[in-house]
Amino acid sequence: MFRNTYDSDNTVFSPQGRLHQVEYALEAVKQGSAAVGLRSKTHSILLALKRSTGELASYQQKMFRIDDHVGIAIAGLTSDARVLSNFMRQQAMSSKMIFNRPVPVNRLVSAIADKAQVNTQEYGRRPYGVGFLVIGQDQSGPHLYEFSPSGNSYEYYAMSIGARSQSAKTYLEKHYKSFDDCSLEDLVRHGLHALRETLQQDKELNVNNTSIGIIGPAGASETGVPPSGPFRILEGDKIEVFLQSMVPKEPEAPAAAPAAPAAAAAPAADEDVQMEG
Amino acid sequence: MDHHPTNWGRPRNDTVDPYGTYPIHQRPTNVPKDAFAAGIQHTQQPIVTGTSVLGIKFKDGIMMAADNLASYGSLARFRDIQRLHPVGEHTVLGAGGDMSDFQYIQGILDELMIDEFAAGDGHTLGPAEVHNYLSELMYARRSKMNPLWNSLLVGGFKDGKRFLAYVDLLGTTYSASTLATGYGSHIAQPLLRRAVEGREDTLTEDEARKILEQSMQVLFYRDARSLDQYQIATITAKGVNISESRKLETSWSFAEGIRGYGAQTQ
Amino acid sequence: MTSIGTGYDLSASTYSPDGRIFQVEYANKAVENSGTAIGLKVKDGVVLAVEKLVHSKLLVPGANRRIQTVDRHIGLATAGLPADGRTVANRARDEAAGYRDFYRSPPTLKTIADRIGHFVQMYTLYSSVRPFGISTILGAVDKDGPALGYHGAAVGKGRQLAKTELEKLKLSELTAREAVIEAARIIYLVHEDAKEKEFELEMSWIGPETNGLHVAVPKDLFDEAEAKAKEALVSGLE
Repeated sequence: MFRNTYDSDNTVFSPQGRLHQVEYALEAVKQGSAAVGLRSKTHSILLALKRSTGELASYQQKMFRIDDHVGIAIAGLTSDARVLSNFMRQQAMSSKMIFNRPVPVNRLVSAIADKAQVNTQEYGRRPYGVGFLVIGQDQSGPHLYEFSPSGNSYEYYAMSIGARSQSAKTYLEKHYKSFDDCSLEDLVRHGLHALRETLQQDKELNVNNTSIGIIGPAGASETGVPPSGPFRILEGDKIEVFLQSMVPKEPEAPAAAPAAPAAAAAPAADEDVQMEG
Repeated sequence: MDHHPTNWGRPRNDTVDPYGTYPIHQRPTNVPKDAFAAGIQHTQQPIVTGTSVLGIKFKDGIMMAADNLASYGSLARFRDIQRLHPVGEHTVLGAGGDMSDFQYIQGILDELMIDEFAAGDGHTLGPAEVHNYLSELMYARRSKMNPLWNSLLVGGFKDGKRFLAYVDLLGTTYSASTLATGYGSHIAQPLLRRAVEGREDTLTEDEARKILEQSMQVLFYRDARSLDQYQIATITAKGVNISESRKLETSWSFAEGIRGYGAQTQ
Repeated sequence: MTSIGTGYDLSASTYSPDGRIFQVEYANKAVENSGTAIGLKVKDGVVLAVEKLVHSKLLVPGANRRIQTVDRHIGLATAGLPADGRTVANRARDEAAGYRDFYRSPPTLKTIADRIGHFVQMYTLYSSVRPFGISTILGAVDKDGPALGYHGAAVGKGRQLAKTELEKLKLSELTAREAVIEAARIIYLVHEDAKEKEFELEMSWIGPETNGLHVAVPKDLFDEAEAKAKEALVSGLE
């Protein structure tokens, strides 16, 4: 069988100037279930699809609080995510300790990106196998960033990562111009609609498999949120009201067709594997 | 030879020879040392020192003053030292105490501000952040029993807010609408309080400057480690302004009538 | 490429029989996959400009910068892998800070460029690391005046055309302000030539109007330069 000799080591460039190990790490992100992030003038939010390994198992954790003003959603290897989120928490704490200032979100994201870059260049390591969506609020307002194993980080108006995230991306690209002036409720509805696009045909979003992370002032259905609107993760019954607000999907036979081959090409993509997130 | 000023006039301790003045082949080895010689010795007093720094709030921001003298013991050794140092766009640091430690702190802060500038993301460190940083630095050093021998005033103006606070070699911090370090905390602070407290929001820049001028004058009369050359820093919404060196108007004719000091015969 | 599959191209520590180090050549391919970056050294300053290829319309314009500040007076523009660019920029900052700490004065561009050159070269020697997938332009105004190592420099995909355009200019007679206009024009020109996907222009400068600091080109001048660049493109095509 033909073996690509430029892909077994992260310290080797292919003749085209590509880093195959890094590209494979990006594939690891796509093995995880999807996460969606978006922002308005006042809020930034995350939505994620949780998997469960079976009837007797709990659902996985897709979101982590870093600090009052920063939260993340992950797709890929949960163990790598925990290492990186611990590092982010340390950075946030040290900014508080040294300067009494919440760490600027972009610097936090750059810090893990710089960490990830080292793993793409030195022998004996592997690139991280996890992607993040990072939301945060600082002096310059609400933010949304994507971090990926390649060591790149970008700021977006809206973004999705994980399995079948392209479908969510298509939804976001169609609607992102209206997000700026959205209320929290409208923003969450857009997020749920985008996340819904990543589901397999027979599945739907429910209170068990969906997480919502919010930074910004409390929404109409929320209670006990401090005025500063710190990061919070809504799960279970608290998201029922948001799920109710979703507009049922119009059954579009032609639109569903192009999504089908993608799912067929990777039938195992949504199967549950222990290490994956 | 031990040139350290604390050891001037003291007999040389030949068993220690801290500066390695013996020729190598004669150097005593394995000789009993005193109980502390093996330990690490840290700063136990400042060497070249600056005296008071004053700071007050006024209507539009913060005003600070410090003279230009760095003393070596009681010798007026350097008379053109700037003890007010700008830190970024919004902050001034004023220092009394050891001037080499102050210069070391300036180096740390300059590097910090370059890092902030290089980040280029619109986030800047204001006076509150600089003060918090310094308090951590000073406290960490004193906890290693190796303090930076200064008392510092941090004054600044950012996002429409005035900031004035103190931190010293112990890591002690406090904040008030008038602050003074060193000799000034005894002599000038009561004067500043009387002039400023309750009027922080009405004092004009000219009035604030006059208050500091008068306090600096009193300090020059009373503080033997002070100088009549000084600078004033003003920090407002417009940014930081540190004046050229200015001279105090003082009159010493009254000294003729003083009895009890010096070489009078009666 | 005849080298592929011979085994002489898998490590930076291996020469091929004809004396080439293929891993370094492949790293250059990574640079050529990215947008062009140019630098102009002129009479009273330095201008850096980058053609930032935009891979998604969801990106926030103006964020995600590819020109970095190394020290107050030193800027750095990269073409190639963005993550590698940040790593080199961070190293350059450390070098600048180290220089300041040791000499208590701002580093000259030559010092920083030398040190970064050494740093990057180390990654071409060993099999345990890969070379950096970037080319970098450093610009500064230091104690000797504007500095770039060249009058004009270009890296990345469109560097040949950019160099041709730079050679047409009388760079040593331009002001920094005029150079900003020219830089924008060249970036727009090389982009048009490659017919790539969307892009965003990013420019910084160091000159008399910036107080010797490396900062982004101010909005009014940026907009003027961009408008003129688009104009020049239209009139050039006719």
